[in-house]
Parts: sequence; structure tokens; C-alpha cells
Amino acid sequence: MDVKKIDKTPARLDFLQSISGVVLAVFIMGHILFEASILISNEMMYRVTIMFEGYYFFGETYPGIISFLASAIFIIFILHATLALRKFPASYQQYKTIKEHTKRMKHEDSSLWMIQVITGFMMFFIGSVHLYIMITQPSNIGPYASSYRIVEEFMGPLYFMLLLSVIAHAFIGLYRVALKWGFMEGENTELSRKRFKFLMRHMIVVYIIIGLASLAKYTYIGLTHDFSDGVQYKSETIKIGEHK
Amino acid sequence: MSEAEAVRTLKINILRFDPNDPDDFPHMQTFEIQESAGMTLYIVLNEIREHHDNALMFDFVCRAGICGSCSMLINGRPGLACRTLTSKMDANITLAPLPLFELIKDLSIHTGKWMRGLSERLETWIHEQEQTRDIDMLEERMEPALADEIYELDRCIECGCCVAGCGTIQMRPDFVGAVGLNKIARYHLDPRDKRSEEEYYKLIGDENGVFGCMTLLGCEDVCPKDLPLRSKIAYLRRMMLKVAL
Amino acid sequence: MKIVYTDVLIIGGGLAGLRVATGVKRRGHDALILSLVPPKRSHSAAAQGGMQASLANCKMGEGDNEDVHFSDTIKGSDWGADQLVARMFVHCAPKAIRELAAWGVPWSRVHRGDHSAIMNAQKVTISEKNEAHGLITARDFGGTKKWRTCYTSDGTGHSMLYAMDNKAHEEEVEIHERQEAMALIVDNGRCYGVVSRNLMSGELVAYVAKATTIATGGYGRIYSISTNAIICQGTGQALALESGIATLGNMEAVQFHPTAIVPVGILTTEGCRGDGGLLLDKDGYRFMPDYEPEKKELASRDVVSRRMTEHIRKGKGVKSRYGDHLWLDITLLGREHIEKNLREVKEICENFLGIDPAVDWIPVRPTQHYSMGGIRTKYTGESQTLHGLYSCGEAACWDMHGFNRLGGNSVSETVVAGMLVAEYISDFCDTDASSMQIHSSKIENAIKEEKAKLEALLTKKNGEDAYVLRRRMEAIMMEKVGIFRNGKDLQEAVDELESLYKRSKNIEVFRSKSRAANPALVNAYRTQKMLKVALSVAYGALLRQESRGAHSREDFPQRDDANWLKRTITSWPDAEQTLPSVSYEEIPIESMELPPGFRGYGKDLTKHNPATHAREVSVNAIREALEREGASRFEIQSALLPFLDKLPQKYRAKNARLGETL
Repeated sequence: MDVKKIDKTPARLDFLQSISGVVLAVFIMGHILFEASILISNEMMYRVTIMFEGYYFFGETYPGIISFLASAIFIIFILHATLALRKFPASYQQYKTIKEHTKRMKHEDSSLWMIQVITGFMMFFIGSVHLYIMITQPSNIGPYASSYRIVEEFMGPLYFMLLLSVIAHAFIGLYRVALKWGFMEGENTELSRKRFKFLMRHMIVVYIIIGLASLAKYTYIGLTHDFSDGVQYKSETIKIGEHK
Repeated sequence: MSEAEAVRTLKINILRFDPNDPDDFPHMQTFEIQESAGMTLYIVLNEIREHHDNALMFDFVCRAGICGSCSMLINGRPGLACRTLTSKMDANITLAPLPLFELIKDLSIHTGKWMRGLSERLETWIHEQEQTRDIDMLEERMEPALADEIYELDRCIECGCCVAGCGTIQMRPDFVGAVGLNKIARYHLDPRDKRSEEEYYKLIGDENGVFGCMTLLGCEDVCPKDLPLRSKIAYLRRMMLKVAL
Repeated sequence: MKIVYTDVLIIGGGLAGLRVATGVKRRGHDALILSLVPPKRSHSAAAQGGMQASLANCKMGEGDNEDVHFSDTIKGSDWGADQLVARMFVHCAPKAIRELAAWGVPWSRVHRGDHSAIMNAQKVTISEKNEAHGLITARDFGGTKKWRTCYTSDGTGHSMLYAMDNKAHEEEVEIHERQEAMALIVDNGRCYGVVSRNLMSGELVAYVAKATTIATGGYGRIYSISTNAIICQGTGQALALESGIATLGNMEAVQFHPTAIVPVGILTTEGCRGDGGLLLDKDGYRFMPDYEPEKKELASRDVVSRRMTEHIRKGKGVKSRYGDHLWLDITLLGREHIEKNLREVKEICENFLGIDPAVDWIPVRPTQHYSMGGIRTKYTGESQTLHGLYSCGEAACWDMHGFNRLGGNSVSETVVAGMLVAEYISDFCDTDASSMQIHSSKIENAIKEEKAKLEALLTKKNGEDAYVLRRRMEAIMMEKVGIFRNGKDLQEAVDELESLYKRSKNIEVFRSKSRAANPALVNAYRTQKMLKVALSVAYGALLRQESRGAHSREDFPQRDDANWLKRTITSWPDAEQTLPSVSYEEIPIESMELPPGFRGYGKDLTKHNPATHAREVSVNAIREALEREGASRFEIQSALLPFLDKLPQKYRAKNARLGETL
């Protein structure tokens, strides 16, 4: 056997897929919590927004930072999607086979993978739209701007679908990555798997509740707020002179 | 016998097909069997063959859960028929041959051929550096705990349940499956096997090997020997990544 | 017609067959295995407890060597074994196990320091030597003076078989699965291979070879309840019998294992008792010490099985809908030990009985387990009468087991015999005498003959149902040719089996008429073959008017060395005869290293042979004279029964042990 030449690419691709997924999942976990700041108050959400725009570092806001961050996420997103494509059914025949298999087996983890395939597929589109908007209109984030987008620009239904698919995909993915690499599997691997699964299920529920609540709040603001003054939020305490 | 213990009539639905018969096509056939105490699918199938249809084909060898011959889809899930007690099941039982393997007839499949191909592909034997150990002298020593650990993985009976339960292999038939990866883990662990990490990488370091596994865990959940398949595949994944970094 | 040529054809892909194939392949001859099932599914995999080899590594095995193993084996055989063969065997067992260790069997190892064990229901602490750490360990088994049974948990046969099959893959041994040998091709007193039927397509193929080896295992399935895999139907013995030339030896020597679960007859290993498990009756009373105060549960298998049966007959059995049984109690070994060293037993209890053996007692009773009899061979493994036909493993009567096999000696025999027979076959194939001289028309005729037989089965009208005949045969064997036998029952058994055999010539395969994969057709021709084997067992048992080892006659309770120190030789020279021909082969006392004596179980009822005393005197004289001269144990042994010259050159060297400097 020629031991000199081994093709290292498959190992690296596999690792990259996992690591990019983990980065995206961690991002999503933060993202949803930050945007849930609306549940506390409009002011809170505004502060979180300007924090990401660099206000607390520079004393000014630079929405370009959001653009930059969103672009970075978009790149990781595309990378992850491209890598994950390797695992997708490559033909209808393959899709049918795996679907029948899952149906026959009545096996939770196999079914979970089907969910990941479907949610992943959905996010190709919804996720891309969302990220594109964030890159191109970074300044339209805020208690009113976001609400406006959700209600007046009809992004609500899209966000709803995105929310469900991204949370399911992220936590199922984290669960799978942990098992895939034997992360914290311990002596009793059955027990650790059970615990990870428990964690996964509960995180999905908790995050969907938080996400839906935020979405409801934004929708409520969008329906009740008077946007005739524009969509920008005016803070009582923080005045940003040059902003816009 | 009290009312509560009334004998059940089992409805056994079997997917039947004889590839040697040009007029035959896959079809379900239902047999009714009176259940008895301690009845297993081994007893059920033999009763069907002896009293209902002597052409029904299936495989049993040890009938004790040791040899791995009688794997089939039992209500859709791969399992060993010989040690499946009917008392633990609904009265309506569906049996089908394992998918992916060449069908011989009815429930009989050619797992041996598949496993032999796997063995040749992965070279599942001890690769010694020098061929001649003197068998007159004391055997090479091995840590007792390591011997136990190797035996743990050596317990695989090549029944094919993990293959049939694997989602990955359904789509990519060249995938080695948990049975193959477990074997590599077993030899990787064994100090008597002198293969290098790179040699192992060449065997399983691709999409048909450990990096093809999508961790659907059908394998581990249907394995009749409760082998620690997930944990060993994860171990190999880490080892093989180390080689490639 | 399809004809496949090879050098060495092996029928059966279990441990013995694989070892022969690997051996001849390594000697440069082509090897081809025909197997009913994938080799890894062979019945060898079901051997749980272990393999005997006198390594003497563990504390309780200290002082063990070939001599002790030899004496245990001969006593166990009730002096029915061929002592030359037993000597060759005990000498090579350590080599075989070390070879298997190098080939990958993860033998359980000695761990230095203290560990606890259960002996005679007491917890004891055993301290292992530092220098033994990491060497192959052993457990206690019935009928052995030392702890000699090496193991991998309780999946020993499985691990051995897998290592062996993998080795065969490495050596590129050709294996044809789902092939059933239907008849030997015999010409001019020599065997040239077999006609084989492909069990998937039904195709008949002639496999022609210089040497043919039957390694098909035992014939346990002629009994209705057996621990054997369902493919252990004695078809290998029938093949030999139907040649009309080859002979079978000691077919009546059938072993019953004390502890198979009730009702399905699946084995729980002797390791359960070896590790300290107890046999209890319906009152939870430990009865074995009453019968065998010294060896108790660990008396030889035949003895324990008989004592259990006696005890059940006294009304001490536990009543169940499947008949009476006793209890095997391993709860005292503790969960940790059970889950580590008796895993298969635990799985079997869970899956087939729905009990937890760490808490519950296991329902057991003696069940047919092993066939000491088989194809009678010379020490080389070659049939004594049919040139070119070899046999080894359980299929053969090489005769190291005599009338009772010790636990752990079976898998050991498979690999040792396989290793030796491979060399003898290779030696034969190296000579010009091995070149084949058979006309192709003879081969074609053999195929045609088999084809005609199959056609007859498929096209017969108003024939017999094979299942009916077979079930009746199994019941007769169980009821009348079981653990305890008597003349009246045996006569009835032979008479009825003979009539079943006559009826079997008229078997019809109903409904299922496929020429390809067809289980009904398979059952039909196998039933015909099994009846011949069953008749050989029953008839041999009827004629043998003594009790020896596993053959226990209520009407002749004594072992009769004066008249019966001989092997039963069975053959079927005329296809038209309805009973086998039986003759006898003397077991010469004059050349015995260990002259016949008392085994040490129950009362000594032996009727001794006059030659025994003379041999004892001469053995003692030789031994004393040499001991005075300070001769080594090897020199003394060699003076009593020289065997090294019979072994292949490469296996003649002494075996190294920890405690023994060579």
C-alpha cells in the first residue's frame, strides 16, 4: 500500500461542515436572545442594536458593522450549505429511498435528519433573503424599523418559517455534532446521548417560545405604531447626533 | 386457562418473492398462527413452513442469537427473528427481508457475500510485521483491560442489522456501514495489528468511510449485540481527522 | 455440466474446516471450502466457555502440562479414546492457542494481584503472579484437575471462528457459500470430491479434488431437543456412510450437556459452573455433593447429566409444562462477573426466558450437545478405508474423546486437528500418488445420479411427508436413545427407525416444486440422510452391552473392558440394506500410556480386562526405572507412548511455560 499519499480533503470537509455549523448555531442562539430584548422594552432593543453598531466602543453608530457581520455569517452560511449539500439526496430516487427507510424504521434520529434536510433546504432561500436584507439595509434594525419590515413589508410569515427551521436545524445539528465527534460522551455513552437529546428538545422548545414571543411583539408594534414619523426609534436617553 | 390468558391468534404478514421464478412478483402473504408460551419468530416461521407453506424460505442457524443468520425487518425494523418473543408484540406482525442485501428468496438474504466483500475491502485481519511468531514460546502479552476492550468490539455477529438500519447506506450503497467501521475500530485498537494511521486512513478516510457517516444512529439502535457503535465511529472520526490535520 | 477442480476440497466452514483450508493454502495448495452457510455463521460460533490448552499461566492452572491434560482427557473418555491421538492433541493445543492469539483472538488475560472467585459456593481470593500478567488466563471446567480452559468472556467460539475466518480471507482461501455436498465422488477406492448443490439456484456442480475433507460438525439434530445449531444434521457422516466404503466410529457416543435452558434447549456454558454456579433442585437444595462429593457440579458432563436425570426421577425436579427441570444458580457470582464473563448467558436468559440471571435461577436440564462419534479416521485424519477422504473436528472420530468429551476440548480439537490434518493432507498432495486419475464420465455420472434422485423426490406421487418421518425420528432418539438407555427401548428404537428409513425411500416433496431455492426439497433429502445416521447411533447403542462414558445402559451398568474395550465401526456397503453393518476395532491395552482404571465417579463397577493389570505393571516398571535414572517427564512419556515421530516436523518442539524451564 502506498502510504505516502492520502487525500486529506474528506476529513477536512467533514470537520469544516461541523465547525461551520457550530458557529452558525452559536450565532443563532445569540441572535434570537438579542432580538428578544424587545420583550423587555423598545429602549432595550434599541440599545442592543446600537451596541452592535459600535456605539459603546466608538460613541458613534456604524451600521456598516452589521453589514460586515452579516456578510461574514452569509459566507459561513454558504460554506456550510455547500458542505452539507454533499449529504443531501442527490436524486429523487435517493430521496424516495431515504424517506421510505425513515418511515419504515420509525426511528427518531433518522427522522430528525430528515427534518434537517428539509429545514436546511428551506433556509437556502429564506435565510439568504434575510441575510441579503441585513447586508444591504443594516440601518433598518430597531424596535420600529424591524417591526415595520415585519408588518408593512410582509416579512412576518417569512420570519416565522425561518424561526422554526433555523431553531430546529441548529439544535438538532448541535446534538448530532456532539454525537458525531464524541463530545463529552463520558463512560456511559447511552446516558450522555440521552442527556444531549433532552437538552436538544428543551432548547428547541425554549427558543421557539422566545422567538415567537419576540415576533409577536414586533408584529404588535408594527400594527399599532404610527410610522408617519419614519421608522427610526428616538431614544429618550441616548442622542446620536450625526446618525443618519 | 382464564379468559384473560386466552390464546392469541397471530397474523403473520410476510413479504414473499422468489427471484428464481419468472412468474413471481413481490407480494404480501398472511398466515394465522396460534400463539404459544415462550414463542419466538423462529418457532412461528418453522410452524408456518411445516404446516402451512413448505416453500417459505428463511435462514436460521444457531437459533440462539449468536450467529446472526436470521436478521430481517420485523415490523419495519431490522432485528434477529430467533430471539424476538411474540409475547412482546402486537398480534399483527409484518416480516420482510432486510433491504440492500441480495435476495435469495422470501426472507432469505445473501449477507455472507456482502460481509465477505467488506472483509476483503477493509482487510479485516491482523496485519503483522513479521509473519512468524514462534508458537512454541510464550504468547505475546496483552493488558487484560485491552483484551476485554477488543473483545467488546469483536462481538459483532455480522447480522447486517446495522446496515439495514443505516440511512446513509440507503442513499450511498458503497458506504462501509457501522459493521465495517466497528471492525476497523477493533483492529485499530489491537496492538497486534501493525497498520499505520495512514493505512487506516486510506481504508476509511473518505465519504464511503467514516466521513460519510451522517450519525443517524440507526445502527446503534438496532444492533442486537448492543455494540458501542456511535462511540467507536466518533473515535475513528477523531483519529482520522488527526491524521489529516 | 459444471466441474470445478481444486487441490483440497473442504466440506464445512467451521473452525476445523477453516483451519485445514488455511493450513493447506499456506503449504501452497489450492483450498476450496463448501459451506451451507457463511463460515462465520457456523456452529463453532456457539461454543461459549472456552478452549482447553495447558498453558499453566493462571494461579489455579499452575503445574499444568501436557501430562495432566492427557490424563484428564483419557479419564474423561472413559478409556475409549485413542491415546496416541490424545497425546498428539495435548501436545499441540498450546501451539494452536498461541497461533490463534497471534491471529487476533482477544483471549482473556491474567491480571496480577488478588481477585476473588467462587469455589464450592465459597468466596475465595486468588493471587496471580506478577510475571503471569498479560498472559492468557483460564477458567475451571468439568473433569479437569487444573484451570485449563482459556476463554474470551463466554464468546470463545465466536472469537476463534472470526479470527480463523479472517485468516482464511487473508490467505485467499476460496469459499463457496450455500453449497451442500450431496454425494462423494468415489472411483476405484478413492475419493475425488463431491457433487454439490447450490442452495440458492439449485445447480449441481462437481467439485473435484485430490483430497476431500469433511468438517461438517456433529449430528445433534437427529434429536428433537439439542443445543446444536439446526444445520448440525449429520449430513457429513451420511456422506461418508453413503460412499459405501468410508466408516463411522462410535456413533452411539452422544453427549448430553447438563445445562441447556428449558424449553428451547439453548446452551448455557459449563463456565457457569466452572465459575462457581450451582445446581439446585425444586427445594432449592444443592444435590450434586450428595452424588459426587469430590467434583460436585464439576464432575464430567456425562456424570452430571446422569445425576441430574436420576435426581429428577426421584421427584426432585421442578414441574413445568415442558417437563421437569432443575435450577442453575449463578446469582452468587454477582452481577459484575456475569456481565463481564457470562454475557452471552445473560443475553440468552433475557431474550429467551425473560429473566435476569444475576437475580433469578435459570431453568435447565440435560440436553443433547455433542457427537463423539463420527467419520472414523487414522491419526492423519484420513478415513481408514476410503483413500483421499479426510475428516476432522466434531465430524470425525479421530478419537481423542472416546465416550465422553471434556468441556473445552471440542473447539480445541477443531483447531489442533485442523492444523495437523492440513499438514498430512499437504504431505499427501506433495506426492505423485495424489495425482488424479478419474474419467470425466464418472464425474458426469455422479452428477446425473444426484439429479435423478432430486427429480424423483419432486415428481413422486402419493409419497411420504418428510416432516412426519423426521419428527418421529427425533422423538424416538430423544425418548429411547437418550441419557439412560436399555435393551428394550433400543430394540424398539432400531425397529421403528428402520421402518422409517424404509418409508423415507418414498418421500415426496409436496407442493413446493422449485428446483432452485426450495426448503422442502432440502428437508426431504436431508431426512433420508439423517435417518441413516440415527440408525447408526441407535443400532450401535443397542449392540454395545456395557456403560461407558456417555453411553449408559441401565441393563448393563458396568464398564466392560473385558468385552467392550473397542470402537464401534459402522458402514453401509450396500445401498439396499436397511440397517448399517457394524464391526469392532480393538483398543489395544498393550500400547496404552494410561491403562484403564477407575474414573472416580460413583461406585467402581468396571469389569476389567486381564491385559490391564499386565500393562499397569509394565508402565509402572518403566516409569520407576526411568525416574531412578533421573529422566525427565518427556523421556518417561516417550518410553511409554512415543508420538512425536507421528507429528509434522514443525509441531514437534516442546511448549514453553512460565514455571517450566526447558
